[in-house]
Amino acid sequence: MMSTSQPKPKAFAAGASLVWRRQRILWWIFVVNLVLAFMGAAGASHNLADDAGVTLNHSTEAARRLVHGFDMSALQELGSLPQDPLRGTSALAALPSILFLLFMLFATGGILAAYYEDFSLDASAFFEAGARCFWRFVRLLVYFVIAMIPVVIIGSIAGKIYDHIDDVSVSPYASVWFGCAAVAVILLLLMAIRLWFDMTEVIAVAHDERRMHKALRLAAGVMWRNHHSLFWLYFRISVIGWAVFAAGLYLWMIRLHPESGAKALLLSQAMILFWIGARLWQRASEASWYKQYREAQAVSVAPPEPIAPLIPTEEELAGAPR
Amino acid sequence: MAAAADAEKKPLSTRVVAYQIDAKLDPATHSITATESLTYLNLTGQPQQTFPFHLYLNAFQPQSTFMTEVRLSGTRGNDPDSAWDAKNFGSITVDKLEVDGMGDLTGAMQFIQPDDHNAADHTVFQVTLPKPVAPGATVTFRMAFHDVMPVVVERTGYKRDFFMVGQWFPKVGVWWKNQWNCHQFHATTEFFADFGTFDVKLTLPHDEVVGAGGDLVSTVNNSDGTKTLEYRSEDVHDFSWTASPHFTDAEDSWTGSAGTVKIHLLMAPGNMASAPRYLRALKGTLAYYDKWVGPYPYDRITVVDPEHGAFNAGGMEYPTLITAGSTWWMPKGLLVPEVVVEHEFGHQYWYAMVATNEFEEAWLDEGINSYMEVKVMDALYGKDTSMLNFPFAQAGDGEEQRTSYLGAPDFDPLTRFAWQFRSSGSYAAVTYGKTATVLATLEKLIGEEKMQEAMHTYFMRYRFTHPTGEDFLKTIEEVSGRNLRWYFDQAVYGTNILDYEIWSADSDRVNWYEKENPLTRSSHQQVYRTYVTVHRKGDFIFPVDVKVKFDDGTSALEHWDGRDRWVRYTYERKAKLASAEVDPERKILLDRDFFNNGRTAESDDRATHKLLRIWVFTNEWISQLVAWFT
Repeated sequence: MMSTSQPKPKAFAAGASLVWRRQRILWWIFVVNLVLAFMGAAGASHNLADDAGVTLNHSTEAARRLVHGFDMSALQELGSLPQDPLRGTSALAALPSILFLLFMLFATGGILAAYYEDFSLDASAFFEAGARCFWRFVRLLVYFVIAMIPVVIIGSIAGKIYDHIDDVSVSPYASVWFGCAAVAVILLLLMAIRLWFDMTEVIAVAHDERRMHKALRLAAGVMWRNHHSLFWLYFRISVIGWAVFAAGLYLWMIRLHPESGAKALLLSQAMILFWIGARLWQRASEASWYKQYREAQAVSVAPPEPIAPLIPTEEELAGAPR
Repeated sequence: MAAAADAEKKPLSTRVVAYQIDAKLDPATHSITATESLTYLNLTGQPQQTFPFHLYLNAFQPQSTFMTEVRLSGTRGNDPDSAWDAKNFGSITVDKLEVDGMGDLTGAMQFIQPDDHNAADHTVFQVTLPKPVAPGATVTFRMAFHDVMPVVVERTGYKRDFFMVGQWFPKVGVWWKNQWNCHQFHATTEFFADFGTFDVKLTLPHDEVVGAGGDLVSTVNNSDGTKTLEYRSEDVHDFSWTASPHFTDAEDSWTGSAGTVKIHLLMAPGNMASAPRYLRALKGTLAYYDKWVGPYPYDRITVVDPEHGAFNAGGMEYPTLITAGSTWWMPKGLLVPEVVVEHEFGHQYWYAMVATNEFEEAWLDEGINSYMEVKVMDALYGKDTSMLNFPFAQAGDGEEQRTSYLGAPDFDPLTRFAWQFRSSGSYAAVTYGKTATVLATLEKLIGEEKMQEAMHTYFMRYRFTHPTGEDFLKTIEEVSGRNLRWYFDQAVYGTNILDYEIWSADSDRVNWYEKENPLTRSSHQQVYRTYVTVHRKGDFIFPVDVKVKFDDGTSALEHWDGRDRWVRYTYERKAKLASAEVDPERKILLDRDFFNNGRTAESDDRATHKLLRIWVFTNEWISQLVAWFT
């Protein structure tokens, strides 16, 4: 067992380094995400082209209200047209998300194997690892949904307390502060649960563990003994991911000229790329952390000096009185 | 001097009613116990023996017509499936009714349901007197009544120790069009009453900060820890008040053509950041109304910022008292506090002074007010940013009104009785959004100056009366000097859809049968034949301009009366089509679809690409969030 006095694995930088060195994973996920998202959005775009009476590409109104700035009422007006060119936008967004979820369920095994082994897997090894873990991770997803139930209950209770405070307090801030605290607690809980399941996936790959409930128990033990370092690892990368995303959003919405097309496209995709990168950074750091942890554990539980064997040697047997 | 003083004292209105109310608030039980004396002057020109009264608070009962309608299609701030419990129920009970010289008539009170015969609805009662009241004579009713206030669900009620008390006393109906007009309280209807005076005494706990639709005449501190405030209000048709120990009264003033107006801004805890926004909007509205419509004759206006959780008390108008609406987090780019204050103050002119029948012709108040709201908001905050003003997204108030109209453009005419609309959504879309858009289109038709003159004339002529829709429309025709019946029949009385489109627009070489000579084309010697076909898609006929631009910078402006279903323009020029646009200046705001108004020869995919970029990004982002579960 690893004691807390042992040196902490340097996983933060190692994870970033892994993501950088195994860039192909990042780019593949980005491309799949982009292609699926585009397929969903292209349908809505096609509706606009075909159904808005004249296509937006030839509409003087579209140029006036959507290119030079972003007139929200123009979008509302499009939505209120009898032919409803925006119809199905949300449905078209749902399908790519589900497909991407399935893709990630499949790819996670390969990703974690590549990070854990720190080895550039060829396609067959990657897909083999993915296929090996797919059903395990589907089962794990079910466990994850079950693990979310207490969080939902806590959220629901917090909501009721929020409503009560809001109802009885004269100042609006009492409920606001409570709400902020509740959201912070729930976010931390969600992070902890995600981290637990992340570690479970790492263990499942590292040990080729088929039994997910066992992997969950092992991961829980590891987390229990190393909660501080693991949580700090996950939390730091989450903050960086969100901060970069917010900065990107600020640049896009506030700083970028409304008519800039290519720049907006590049910036928006850079934001998504970094977001995916941050998530992979978490996975790589966790894999690296666990690898270092196992190595340290192996050192700390290394077998002691050989002791006299209990079974007598041949010489001893030969000299022994009969 | 004496004559001047008399002129100053001369009533602004024909005072039909004189109310004297003595009310005591019990904050613990959220109830009000009161006596009311109503002196009614019979100016109906005939003897009157039966008098109807509103009991609005009885709308907050489960079997009332109001609640039945809310369950059907909701109302402002309340969905059909909104949870209602005992706290939401309110009531008003008249314990005693006496008439001077005729004795106790409590037993003669009878609930009536003139609109829907719902026997469970107790929002109107009538009493028949033993003898009629002669024309020109007065009759005095003396009542003892008891209010149980609901938690605020619809304009009136309480939240914690905040009280917004409106429509809280028995109010007599209006003799109008030769009959009593006293409708039940419906989910979408508002109010209608006669002008007069109000002398109101309010007794409530000493620490209450009170705002009311009247001048404070006296304050008496009572020995039991309460205080009695006495208010007087003249030439109004309603009296409302608010109380909370937590209000901050931000006083201010504004001076216009009719003198100084004292502003009481009662701010709820946590919302003080909105106070300067309210004040700017209010003063700007006072100034523009004074300039464009007419003087504000009262010496006071109270703005109530409802406490959090009492949002449904906000956005309401009463004579010289309005309720606003904000939150502690309201971003500057979202101009909700400004729009609400502007809109509710605008009601002082249309609801409080012009005083049309909101049950039967709601568009005359809400719609005209929404039209003026756009005018004032655009003048104060910019045409394209008067509703939403963020660096990444903007919207003008006028566009928002039009968008609202587009939500239900052809179900109901403006003139439908408020409770007979298809739904509360249709009521809102037509009464507010469509009327504002109809009037904005009318303004483009007759000119801004004429429209402004018409609004001024209408207000000055009909303030302190109860005009009808026809009075309003005839005033516009009279001022503009034009017969506008063709427009009113379609836009006001009809449900016609207005939609013009460029059906097709293209250029072709005149000598199309010959091989094209590149030199001829580049030297602009090639003659093209350009066809532009304009289509009237809807059944609303409106004359339109059509502008055709060519790629040599020239253009042609056509005028089409719109009577036929389509028209084709043909040009032969040494230039090709650049664009064709119907209603190029967007004068016809009633046009249902602006996106089909113009067609360019060259494709410009920037708008589509922008939307596509946003959708792709959103989809990617949603996918990432979903993938977090794996």
